[in-house]
Amino acid sequence: MLKASEKSENQSLISLSYISENAVLLEWPEKICATQHQHIMFCQQQASAFLKEVLIDCIASYASLIIYYKFEKIQHDTLNTFLLELIQNPTNNNNPTSTSSNSNHVDSVENSLIEIPVYYGEGVAWDIKTVAQQTKLSIEEVIQLHSQTTYRAYALGFTPGFCYLGRLPAQLQLPRKSSPRLSVPKGAVAIAEQQTAIYPNTSPGGWHIIGQTPLDMYHADLTSNNEENKNSACQSSQFNSTIQVGQSVKFVSITLEEFLSLGGELIKEIS
Amino acid sequence: MSAKPKNHLTVIKQNGFCSVQDLGRMSSQHLGFSASGAADEYAFLYANYLLFLAQKLFQPCVQLNRHLTHNLNQAQLEITLGQITFKAEQNCTIAITGADCSVSINDKPVNNWQIHHVKTHDIIHFSQPKMGLHSYLGVAGGIQNKQWLGSRSQTSTEKGLGFNNAPADTISLNYRIPLAEHCNINDRNKEHYNLTSTIPASGRFDLEQASKVAFAQKQLTPSTFYKELNKPLTLRFIPQSLWHSFAKKQQTAFCKHQFTISADSNRMGYRLSETPDDITSSMSNTQSKLSKPVTFGTIQIPSKNQPIVLMKERQTIGGYPVLGSVIQTDLFKLSQLRPGNKIQFSPTTLSFAQQQLSAFHQKFCFSI
Repeated sequence: MLKASEKSENQSLISLSYISENAVLLEWPEKICATQHQHIMFCQQQASAFLKEVLIDCIASYASLIIYYKFEKIQHDTLNTFLLELIQNPTNNNNPTSTSSNSNHVDSVENSLIEIPVYYGEGVAWDIKTVAQQTKLSIEEVIQLHSQTTYRAYALGFTPGFCYLGRLPAQLQLPRKSSPRLSVPKGAVAIAEQQTAIYPNTSPGGWHIIGQTPLDMYHADLTSNNEENKNSACQSSQFNSTIQVGQSVKFVSITLEEFLSLGGELIKEIS
Repeated sequence: MSAKPKNHLTVIKQNGFCSVQDLGRMSSQHLGFSASGAADEYAFLYANYLLFLAQKLFQPCVQLNRHLTHNLNQAQLEITLGQITFKAEQNCTIAITGADCSVSINDKPVNNWQIHHVKTHDIIHFSQPKMGLHSYLGVAGGIQNKQWLGSRSQTSTEKGLGFNNAPADTISLNYRIPLAEHCNINDRNKEHYNLTSTIPASGRFDLEQASKVAFAQKQLTPSTFYKELNKPLTLRFIPQSLWHSFAKKQQTAFCKHQFTISADSNRMGYRLSETPDDITSSMSNTQSKLSKPVTFGTIQIPSKNQPIVLMKERQTIGGYPVLGSVIQTDLFKLSQLRPGNKIQFSPTTLSFAQQQLSAFHQKFCFSI
């Protein structure tokens, strides 16, 4: 629970910048913090409710929120007054530990935990040996630390379904690989700096691979043509990310047999 | 749900890159999807506007889409560096804009920035343009590939994922590009129409509409920019706090510096030549930060001192230090420049950028 004085101190640190013709960026202090991120998501929801059809999109990240809006459809002062009040007025700042004033959707996302089965075996965990060496831990300790922690989903980005999870225990934190791989396999569970994530598709990547999940990171409906689909409301049904921003995530260590029975594939690195 | 389209253009020769584009998917960035969309919105909207006027002129009785903006979002082919040949499988009405590819129909040269009527088995050929990058081929009724997240834009990073058209999400040799049922709006068998000089002579028009169309035609002259694509371009940008933290001297040096567009530039971003150390050293020394949302035109300063300007296929969030955002009406121009072309930066204000973009929108959304 935050004290009132700390709250107002926090709010004065939120900055507002109109960075593009149709975008305003809100920035919080540069840190990975669940309470702060809850406030970011609260602001996201408030902004969406206020702007309605003037809103184009609203994207939350670790310590920032961008609001894309139809600038020709709203007075600058109207938007600015609303945003200043949103970030300055303490009565508008819901107590971050209680989600009572949030919408039901935000509420249910905030309170849900998703478990991701991971096979940490060396056959798929291409970098677990070097991670253990560099962190001066045993492979077992790396697995234990990674799977013990409950993470928060801070942002979706990089590639569809790629969800940034934080924070990684301090003992596991390493800089990105000095030269990124051209191809990281689909389902790779990886770490870098304060973050961990799962690669939803085969793609280039510079994070350390410590495991593999057989779980799909998104569901895409490729059959419907959605001829009439013009607004964002319909879009969520066409693409669903397995992990949603704001959700809690835990990795569960599974055996090779379990991994294979869940449809996992052993992918060797071609060197 | 409509039946499988019968009308097609077939790709019979291809050396360059070609994709289907509309105005993209601005509302799916929260899912991690690039906004994507036509690189040069000026040439794109111009082509759709030509088709719209042609429809008004030649099919005045047909009830058109009430929503002009929806009509202006019709998907087209974005042809990069020309070198592609199509065969028409039926009569259709096309518009050609953007980089001048010396387009020919059955080996007969035709004008850029104009509407043309194409007959069954006609061959439409795009040569490599002498200047510029992207050309647009619009067809009446729009390209009818599969919609994904409310858009038909094909995005290179999503190649093979089956979002816009299974299996490859890309246009290649022998590909049959699906067209709308009413892809032909010509009922007079004229080969091409110069909308900027042709005033319809027909008793079928009501006077009011004819005068409105005539007015719209007068407004329509392609920007002289397309004849000056090798000239250095000044990119006006809305500065962010990093810019304001610099000394006046440093800001002046940055704006005086002429950058060269690097070879590794594409639809995602334009990489620029390295800046002299004294200009941007303090910019990139600012620590790599937590990823935050980035926009169309964001100027990133990564560690190698090579600024990157983010374009239509940009990612949604990024961690490099940010100097500001290039205004959108300058980005459409930038998208036509090639590696080796020169650019400079100049700071401007949000209100100027918004005025420019509003004027740009009004040019093509002129109520008719």
